[in-house]
Amino acid sequence: MTEEQTASPWRGWGWLTPHRANIAIVLILFIALPPLTARAMPKWFTGTTTLVFCKAVAIAVAAISLNLLLGYAGQISLGHAALLGFGAFTSGVVTSKYNLPMYVGIPAAALISAGVAFLVGLPALRLRGLYLAMITIAFGFAMQQSVFRTNYLSGGSAGIALPRRVINENDLTNNADFLVVALVLLLIVWLIDVNVVRTKLGRAFKVIREDEAVAQSFGVDVTRYKLTAFVLSGAIAGIGGALYGHSVGFVNGESFGLDSSLLLVIMVVVGGLGSRAAVVTAALIFTIFPHVMETLFPRLLGWHLIIGALLLIFTVARNPGGFAGAMHEARERAEKLRRRAEEDEIEDAGALPKLPSLPRPAGLADRPTADVPIVLHATDISVRFGGLQALSEASIEVPRGKIIGLIGPNGAGKSTLFNAVSGLVRAETGNVTFLGEDITALRPDERARRGIARSFQNIGLAKSLTVLENFLLAQHQVATYGTGTALLYSRRGARIERELGDRAREAVEALDFTRFLDTPVRNLSHGQQRIVEIGCLLVTAPELVMLDEPSAGMSPGAAENLAVRLADLRDELGRTVLLIEHNVPMVLDVCDEVYVLDHGEMLAHGLPAEIAQHPEVIGAYLGATTVGVAP
Amino acid sequence: MGQTFVVGFIHGGIYALIAAGIVLVYKGSRVLNFAQAEVGTMALYATWWVSGSHHYPYIAGALAAIAFAVLIGLAFERVAVRPMTEAPRVTVAVATIGLLSLALAVEGVIFGPSPRRIPAPISGTGVHIAGVIVSPSELLAAAIVVIIALALSMFLRYTDFGLGVLAAAQDATAARLMGVSHRRVSVFIWGTAGALSAIAGLLIMPTIGFLTPGALAGLFIGGLTAALVGGLNSLSGAFVGGFVVGVVEELIKTQLVSLSVPGITSLGLFAVISAMLLLRPQGLLGGRA
Repeated sequence: MTEEQTASPWRGWGWLTPHRANIAIVLILFIALPPLTARAMPKWFTGTTTLVFCKAVAIAVAAISLNLLLGYAGQISLGHAALLGFGAFTSGVVTSKYNLPMYVGIPAAALISAGVAFLVGLPALRLRGLYLAMITIAFGFAMQQSVFRTNYLSGGSAGIALPRRVINENDLTNNADFLVVALVLLLIVWLIDVNVVRTKLGRAFKVIREDEAVAQSFGVDVTRYKLTAFVLSGAIAGIGGALYGHSVGFVNGESFGLDSSLLLVIMVVVGGLGSRAAVVTAALIFTIFPHVMETLFPRLLGWHLIIGALLLIFTVARNPGGFAGAMHEARERAEKLRRRAEEDEIEDAGALPKLPSLPRPAGLADRPTADVPIVLHATDISVRFGGLQALSEASIEVPRGKIIGLIGPNGAGKSTLFNAVSGLVRAETGNVTFLGEDITALRPDERARRGIARSFQNIGLAKSLTVLENFLLAQHQVATYGTGTALLYSRRGARIERELGDRAREAVEALDFTRFLDTPVRNLSHGQQRIVEIGCLLVTAPELVMLDEPSAGMSPGAAENLAVRLADLRDELGRTVLLIEHNVPMVLDVCDEVYVLDHGEMLAHGLPAEIAQHPEVIGAYLGATTVGVAP
Repeated sequence: MGQTFVVGFIHGGIYALIAAGIVLVYKGSRVLNFAQAEVGTMALYATWWVSGSHHYPYIAGALAAIAFAVLIGLAFERVAVRPMTEAPRVTVAVATIGLLSLALAVEGVIFGPSPRRIPAPISGTGVHIAGVIVSPSELLAAAIVVIIALALSMFLRYTDFGLGVLAAAQDATAARLMGVSHRRVSVFIWGTAGALSAIAGLLIMPTIGFLTPGALAGLFIGGLTAALVGGLNSLSGAFVGGFVVGVVEELIKTQLVSLSVPGITSLGLFAVISAMLLLRPQGLLGGRA
């Protein structure tokens, strides 16, 4: 370092890169410009007009809140207005009853609404389905009819005042000044939402939206993350509600009824599920535009509600991605055309690439490291679906470092056994022991965190996410930072995310898929999706890899050298594999031992050579003509 | 106590009609219909227009409401449900949320917040049952609920088409292979759901008194609770659930009145839903949820 550089006035300002400086300038303008304009041009921006802007910003915060829940995690809330209501009433009580300033009231609002969301979500979010929508519509109704009309909150139904108290008796009476507060809060909420999306939180939410079973197989505790999404959404709704209350200065129960909850759903779905900018824009348009129209044409009062509802029906029936989705699709189509013109890259690559060999990642806290010779031991597993006995007392043993094959005709119960081992199906009887630990009572995600990785017949990936995002998601169990770290994106969180990213890129590079890094998985061919899936399974160095018909959908070239790759898995990477496969010659070729299931019962077990000669197996499955073909 | 049960049963029967509509749609289309009661509210504006505003006899207004509600059900089936046969069921449920929003918006924008009076179906003095005076309209409601429950179950059990509907609810593909038209089943289900919605609205109206936008929101919450209590895929559960909810609501009303908490029955229904989801999410009579 030279003398000059040390003496530079910019010493210590190294973090202020031009990029960051630009962002800072944009943000300052974003917050300062509207209020300054409002102050400078009082003729154009009357108090009323500025108030509409304040309200619009509050609604935008509410829309971000619902988007986090509905757009990312796929959970519907029809009582979101009640969460806004709790925010507004909380801040009202704090500022007007206890004479405390706004900056105490608004955080209190976030806390109370988050707590209420936790209590409401707890019974509903353990279940799969629309239960949150059902319970929240009843919740919203009960709050509007009952709690928001109590004497303490609203003096019957008269309502409560929300002074914009800053300190002592000084209030921000000018709407333009309050707009600054609103915009700053919108910015904070926006940044928190950005952090949600770029950390494991957002990835867990999105995979839950896509498929809860896949989420669990990646080690995501589905109930906990759904609850986290609802509580976070509640906290943000609390802020939005408090902002709304302080904007209008006065609220009662009628401000937060079912119609407001529905309007929020309309904004989020029509704007574009999962797209923050689109949802905020929709909120601003839906708040400001009707005001403008109604000022110009008083007869149009309320018509935006009818148009909004029609748009909602149209959007879900014809164009579920909403406005943002339509734009995105158009972009994707254009890019596809361009790529096709350049070269046929999406075409299936011939052979199965070498599978990534990655060192064991740090942070596998849950995983026992004991060197147990038998990795998996499932005994006497019985599973019944209604009247169908899918498995009866089937047992299987998987020794370390071996490839164990599981064959049998369609409907023999092979995948059911996989589900019983990975925990997606609860066995009526029997025990599953993994690395010497009885895991029978554990949830699928807990089993995944102990080192069981499995593939699905119809591809266990989040298909709307990109290849890179799926590889990050697959490392969920190694992302050992808490929710707080994620929301603040602290240095530790950023470091771990960077490590996950490096690892993901390394794995994608090993598969020779780097050109697909930012391609949504659903745009890949089935065979390519399968390769990505297997890559994702291996990225956390699992103790047991369970593959359910990996060759299904692979190109002939890839399927052909699947056997070689599986042998690599065992011999070079030292993995233990349990394999369901219809390609019997390949199974007999590559496996160390083979189990045969038929009608839910274990028909035979032995070395490949024995199985090939087993008379019952030949009768039940291989068929007379196959005799002597293998191995 | 006697009063509680009599009144509870009568109101519960009306909830049961909404619950039956929810269950029917859920069984047939695997969709939760959030507009089940709001369609009835819309339809009641037809009754107001015919009988209240133009002074035609009540029965004309009532029939107009039922016809209008069936029409809304069929239109929604055509515009949203049918094109989305292959779509995820959540998406269709969101479409019913759109229908709910549309109904609320139309009521609010076209008719405005001013309350409309719907004439009573019949007048006259009440009847004493178990030491309780039951008004003639309540008696009529109870009778109609019983008739509808019987008619619906007979139709589903003893006619070919009814059996086809039940079969399609069990296994849509198998039913289609057996010659049950998926489209006809879907049309029947959404049309019937509309009719049930209007009838429930007509029956609860004398209790509510005046028609305002969203006047039947409470009816929907009651019906939804009843459907959850009985089990979302059990039609008989809907009626059991309806009576349970009616009685619980009446108990809350009479026993907890001293707490003087506003709208306490709505809190009670919310508590019932929460407890149900925690303890028995598949409902009292439901199979696997």
